[in-house]
Amino acid sequence: MSAPRWRALACAVLLAALPACATVTLAPAGPYAVGGQSVTLGRSWSDISILLPGRPKNVRLLTIDGPLLNRLYIVDGLADGRALASPAGKDPPTPRWRSDLSPGEQVEFVADSVAAMGYQRVETKDLRPARVGGVDGLRFNIAAKTTGGLDISGVAQVAESGGRLFLILFLAPTEHYFGAQEAEVEGIMSSARPGG
Amino acid sequence: MTRLAPALLAAALLSAAATSEAWARSPTAASRPDPATDEGGLWSSSDRAEAEARTKAELDADPVLTGYVRGVACKVAAEYCGEIRVYVMDRPFFNAQMAPNGYMEVWSGLLLRVTDEAELAFVLGHETSHYVHHHSLDAWRAARRRANATMALSAVVAVAGAAAGAGVGGDAAARTINDSVNALVDVLYLAAVASMFAFSRDQEAEADRLGFARAVAAGYDPSAGARLWRALQAEAGHSDFPTARTEEAVASVFATHPVTAARVAALETLSNDRPAGSTDSGRARYRAAIRPHLADWLRDDLRRRDYGRTLHLIDRLAADGEDPGLLDYCRGEVFRRRRGDGDDARALAAYRAASAAPDAPPAVWRELGDLHRKAGQTAEARAAWAAYLARAPDAQDRWLVEASLKALARSGQP
Repeated sequence: MSAPRWRALACAVLLAALPACATVTLAPAGPYAVGGQSVTLGRSWSDISILLPGRPKNVRLLTIDGPLLNRLYIVDGLADGRALASPAGKDPPTPRWRSDLSPGEQVEFVADSVAAMGYQRVETKDLRPARVGGVDGLRFNIAAKTTGGLDISGVAQVAESGGRLFLILFLAPTEHYFGAQEAEVEGIMSSARPGG
Repeated sequence: MTRLAPALLAAALLSAAATSEAWARSPTAASRPDPATDEGGLWSSSDRAEAEARTKAELDADPVLTGYVRGVACKVAAEYCGEIRVYVMDRPFFNAQMAPNGYMEVWSGLLLRVTDEAELAFVLGHETSHYVHHHSLDAWRAARRRANATMALSAVVAVAGAAAGAGVGGDAAARTINDSVNALVDVLYLAAVASMFAFSRDQEAEADRLGFARAVAAGYDPSAGARLWRALQAEAGHSDFPTARTEEAVASVFATHPVTAARVAALETLSNDRPAGSTDSGRARYRAAIRPHLADWLRDDLRRRDYGRTLHLIDRLAADGEDPGLLDYCRGEVFRRRRGDGDDARALAAYRAASAAPDAPPAVWRELGDLHRKAGQTAEARAAWAAYLARAPDAQDRWLVEASLKALARSGQP
């Protein structure tokens, strides 16, 4: 067995042991703080951040029906050089946030990060302006597929404040699950207030 | 096709028969093996992999491209043409594989790095040789010896998942964790499937020799195989990652086809022993076939973030001066994304070069505008953005560029 395959199996064993000590917490409806950022949840979600590979700082992952059916990333002030998706290995590196990204590059950063999570054929569309707290930001839709061919829809809101990224990203299967929570997610995005 | 070619193919096949006589597949022996045998089990696994491939997001749905690749496969393996089913997968890695049931995957990362039809013919001849000589059966038997360990690990994963699912509150939470565990089991299964294509060095050398013979017999340039393997090694040498640069072999994502110096030398010897004659590289045909996909495949390659490799690849694609607008744009994209010292100037030069070509994508002018603004060259930025909007009036970021133009106007800078 090759060294990469050994490493993959070792990782699998470690990940398999993880659920035994995993803590899934309730994120109840109402104001919800993620670091210095606050949002308002219209309904209760489950916080499954413990399942994020590498558990990146400043990234919170919420779901209602499980991460394959809906996932909401809330990113609180990602700093220069940090990644939304933790690298699976040393090569290739995952996309890194840079405080000097142009608005178009911010969109590209999110799309590349979604691709780095393992989604295929990631495209962005319907780019539009958004006001995030007192900050000018962007909102856009995402279309992608799982490796198994399932159509995925998404919506993302990005705002840069003090050189840090405040991002809310929602991904769900296009069939039923995206539409079922779209209004809830739009409400969460509109309620977002980036921290200082 | 040269008159010597059939004799060469026959000699090569006879040579292979010395080691694989019992295993050489006859063109009429496509009947399904007994399911109770290990070969029958291998066919079942191949059937499952093929069924999954048909649903994969990466499956390229372009029938023209798939038909072209299949056509080349049929040129080098005419006697097996009826058994070959080609699937082009949009995956940015150099790989091709052919299962014992006749299902063949060719990945876009390979098609992006092959520069003419002769190189593709060599690769497909190589894969067909694995198929004809049942190489995957040996690999499958080795994989089955490893299967006990894999099955045991799968059981551990499943039990751990079930226990965790029972121990947390709420159905949703339990489903979340169990979904993750199922994904892990899939990974283990896929690793076992991939191992059926982990051929020995002897098998790779044999497939090189037979693939060479098949491609040459079909009239293709004999130097194509060695040229392709050398190009892959050179590309690896330009990688940004030390591990890729220092490996002796160039490996695919599954490390199924390591290319060693010995394999390159063997192919060069075979090529040098061929008498000079008229051969076909099919470069123009090949480029025409992949041209509609170049932009998407290069974007996928950029997402790998191995910028040294991508630049080397672009240089190879640009060798004959084809597609200058797209390739210079992609060169600019490498520098823009890499953000190293002097990369802004390199990106600007690349985008400017692209803008002079008729096939330049509209995004060239948007990037020129961004770079000019960054450099404080507001008049040039305005002109570039205006050119972008004229070329892409329905762009989704039109409002953003218009806002940038207004901001420049407000700034009062000339």
